[in-house]
Amino acid sequence: MAAQQKASSASQTPHLSPAELSYLYTSLSLPQNPIRPDGRSPTQFRPLTAEPDILPGTNGSARIGFADGTQAVVGVKAEVEKTVLSADTLDASNLSQQQGDFAAQEGRDGREGAGSAAVAGHGSWVQVSIEIPGFRDDDALPVFLSEMMRESLVGSVAGGNDSSDEMAGGLKGRLVINKRWHWRLYIDSQGEEDPFFDDDWAVAEHLYPRGTTNSTVKLSSSVPQVRPPITLLVISVGENTIFDPSREEIAVADAVLAISVARDGGDKNLKLLSIRTIDPPSRLTQPAVPNSENVNALGATAPTEDVAVLNPATGEEEVPGVWRPRRGGVKRSVIAQMVKTVLKKGGVGEEVLEGLEGVEVE
Amino acid sequence: MAATIPSLAIPGQRLGPASAYSAGPGTHIQQSMIYASIAGPVVVDPAQPKTQLKSTIRVSRVPTSKPQTQTDSPAGAASTLPKPKPRYNTLPAVDSIVLARVTRVQKRQVAVSILVVLDESTTAQSIISPSSSSDNDNIASILTTAANPENHSNTDELRFQALIRKEDVRAVEKDRVVLDEMFRVGDIVRGSVISLGDQSFYYLTTARNDLGVVMARSEAGNMMFPVSWKEMRDPVTEVGEQRKVARPF
Amino acid sequence: MSILNVFNSPTTFALATCVMADRRRINGPPGGTRPAIYATSLPSIKDADRARRQRQPSELRKIFLKTGLIPSASGSSYLEFEPSASLAAARANPKSLIPPSSALKLACTVHGPKPLPRSVAFSPNIVLTTHVKYAPFAARKRKGHIRDASERDLGVHLETALRGAIIAERWPKSGLDITITIIEAEDDRWWGDAPDSHDASWGMMNVLAGCINAASAAIADAHIDCLDLVSGGVAALVTDNDGGAPQLMLDTDPAEHRSIVSACVVGYMPARDEITALWLKGGTSKAALDEQDGRSGHEALVDGAVDAARGAHMVLGEAVKESMERALGQTT
Repeated sequence: MAAQQKASSASQTPHLSPAELSYLYTSLSLPQNPIRPDGRSPTQFRPLTAEPDILPGTNGSARIGFADGTQAVVGVKAEVEKTVLSADTLDASNLSQQQGDFAAQEGRDGREGAGSAAVAGHGSWVQVSIEIPGFRDDDALPVFLSEMMRESLVGSVAGGNDSSDEMAGGLKGRLVINKRWHWRLYIDSQGEEDPFFDDDWAVAEHLYPRGTTNSTVKLSSSVPQVRPPITLLVISVGENTIFDPSREEIAVADAVLAISVARDGGDKNLKLLSIRTIDPPSRLTQPAVPNSENVNALGATAPTEDVAVLNPATGEEEVPGVWRPRRGGVKRSVIAQMVKTVLKKGGVGEEVLEGLEGVEVE
Repeated sequence: MAATIPSLAIPGQRLGPASAYSAGPGTHIQQSMIYASIAGPVVVDPAQPKTQLKSTIRVSRVPTSKPQTQTDSPAGAASTLPKPKPRYNTLPAVDSIVLARVTRVQKRQVAVSILVVLDESTTAQSIISPSSSSDNDNIASILTTAANPENHSNTDELRFQALIRKEDVRAVEKDRVVLDEMFRVGDIVRGSVISLGDQSFYYLTTARNDLGVVMARSEAGNMMFPVSWKEMRDPVTEVGEQRKVARPF
Repeated sequence: MSILNVFNSPTTFALATCVMADRRRINGPPGGTRPAIYATSLPSIKDADRARRQRQPSELRKIFLKTGLIPSASGSSYLEFEPSASLAAARANPKSLIPPSSALKLACTVHGPKPLPRSVAFSPNIVLTTHVKYAPFAARKRKGHIRDASERDLGVHLETALRGAIIAERWPKSGLDITITIIEAEDDRWWGDAPDSHDASWGMMNVLAGCINAASAAIADAHIDCLDLVSGGVAALVTDNDGGAPQLMLDTDPAEHRSIVSACVVGYMPARDEITALWLKGGTSKAALDEQDGRSGHEALVDGAVDAARGAHMVLGEAVKESMERALGQTT
């Protein structure tokens, strides 16, 4: 089985029998009121311990632990690197110095002069790597996760550049030292077991406060509102939206979304940074055989009435209690519902961010 | 009602209500409607008279359009032939007849790689004239290239592997079987699938008169002809070699 | 001067690190280079020369799609986007040595169903593997021969999009390899813009939509059971004027826009109105749409991408039908 898990990019799937999957699915898809195996409410998170600054050799580090023993350790290193400008940039910046009008247009968002990578930073200056036991570092899942994290980290630029001048260019802008040198950030994460959402959290939490000391050019101690983005893992089962799913719950999900949000500048609203679908492992599960079709059970059991019922969420005919691997996608309304639950005022996203702000960082 | 059914379908095309038809191969059911799941000509197999079954809609995998479907054949002919099980894919399944090339002969088992899965309809008619009703290429051309020792490329890993165990070689005197006298590497064997097996191998049997070696080359490298159920002979050197020979048609 | 600088550093690096390097000849730089273009030789590049979108906001580029071109594969397809109007104009009347935009071209092959490698455990479903690879010359910056993170990332997105559409349980114990070679990629931005202007790789999203369409056609060509022809579409919120409100555009060519606020690509199955893959990037909640439009930014984006995918689906359907008719014509 281990080999098959590697072949499937989805995630580490627990070994559940079709009967178990079916039971879990049924209880999670109860209308309005899903019953989760650990008794949480749909939006409730698992208890979490977070400890920043545990590794003295790094520029920033953190450890995250869930109650079930899932852990992740993250270290951030910053190195000074010479800024190599591509030929494109050189041409453009040379030209823009020659032609004043062009340059003026280039520097339209408050930056001056040569609007080049030397000022605004570059997304590739942030390197994220995630290591998960049981996966090779070039397997699809770690790559996917690290790209996802980098995307939301770097992507928080968009809100930064007009709300506060200090955060111009966002995270990557703060890595600029001067025209010729910049910082390069290495974010390395060692997951123990379930790496999904906790890593993000850990990295994000300390990266920003530490980042302040890193970027010598743009010290931005006066920006308390700027918080790192967070990535939430949300699943939908039937008509329910469930947050912080455990691995067992992911295994039966109809759809898995990773939603990254951040605080939007000064105001308290949340800003959506990115959404990615993640391949739900339920598509790869083994189907169950209803009694009516099971040759081995013929005669052994009393003939049962296996009546296929239309599952409203998937549109498939299913015999209740008989597991079938999910197929197909998600409806747009389901996605909209999931995003709304994250973004709305007093919603889950805000709650998580507030929880994070409680973690002390010197 | 048949007028509403398109003659050609693409995946995701709605074919008809599931209440009026049953879904055959190449289709799937969604919200009580039958949809096509592969591209191809749509075939409606009418229900057998006197049964309460619904007509079956299927999408043919084979690019030949309408011929040789039960739609045209009289009901009598359809009932004499045992109705083949619906096949949802072109993979080897239990009871399919396959042609395979021997890749390794061991003491207890023979490893073969499956070259082609024959359709039930094809086997029922004749092997010799395979009207290209299989998805695979022309069978004759596959055989000639595969039997040619110069053509033994390393494509075996692209083919499904199968085993013929010692006790599945023939129906009688199973304990006296010596595999070296039954198969040689490079022989083309007709076999029947008895099990999907484990992760890597299917299991074949040749324990029937019409199953066994259909093509083989002698040690001298010449194509041999069968002379009995356990011998083939080289036409040039006149030397006989032992094989488990399939009954020629 | 500046160009010399670029050349210099990789060469010395290579000599220092590669012990086995050929010392008798002067090797070219191991890294990718572009033909030297001297700033003075360039005719003046003005903002006016920037490629501009000449399509309506909801108008899609034409797609060329053909299946069954690679005989050794069980299914294959070739997809090409119509070059944008600015590219065509620049070819006819070149103002600069650098083409203003590029148009996606990619080839997809499907191998299988074939046996799984020995090391893989029994699977009741078909096991999908996706490989997306840029040709080294596909983008403006040369790509190496080893797949980098963005290419793997594309592969995962593609796999997610396709796996939702394939009826996997009909093909037990077998594997399906989907390989996509990108011959020409989409630009991430207008080449004249400095890389910072919008740093995110927006072109990747167009590439992904193209990959989904091509793979879907190739899978249909290979006769693998699918719920529907899953099709890809891109929509983006763009600001072309300073301070202007962002506008929703379908099938955006990033080279034609000054700034992309956020973009979204979907894998979509029209027959079921379901999304198999969604990738949305960029801050969306601020984007102000029309007042009467009650949707929030991300919903509008997803809807726009779905509309684009619907358009692509029509092309897909025609291409699959065409190849089917071709096959029928050969046999009868």
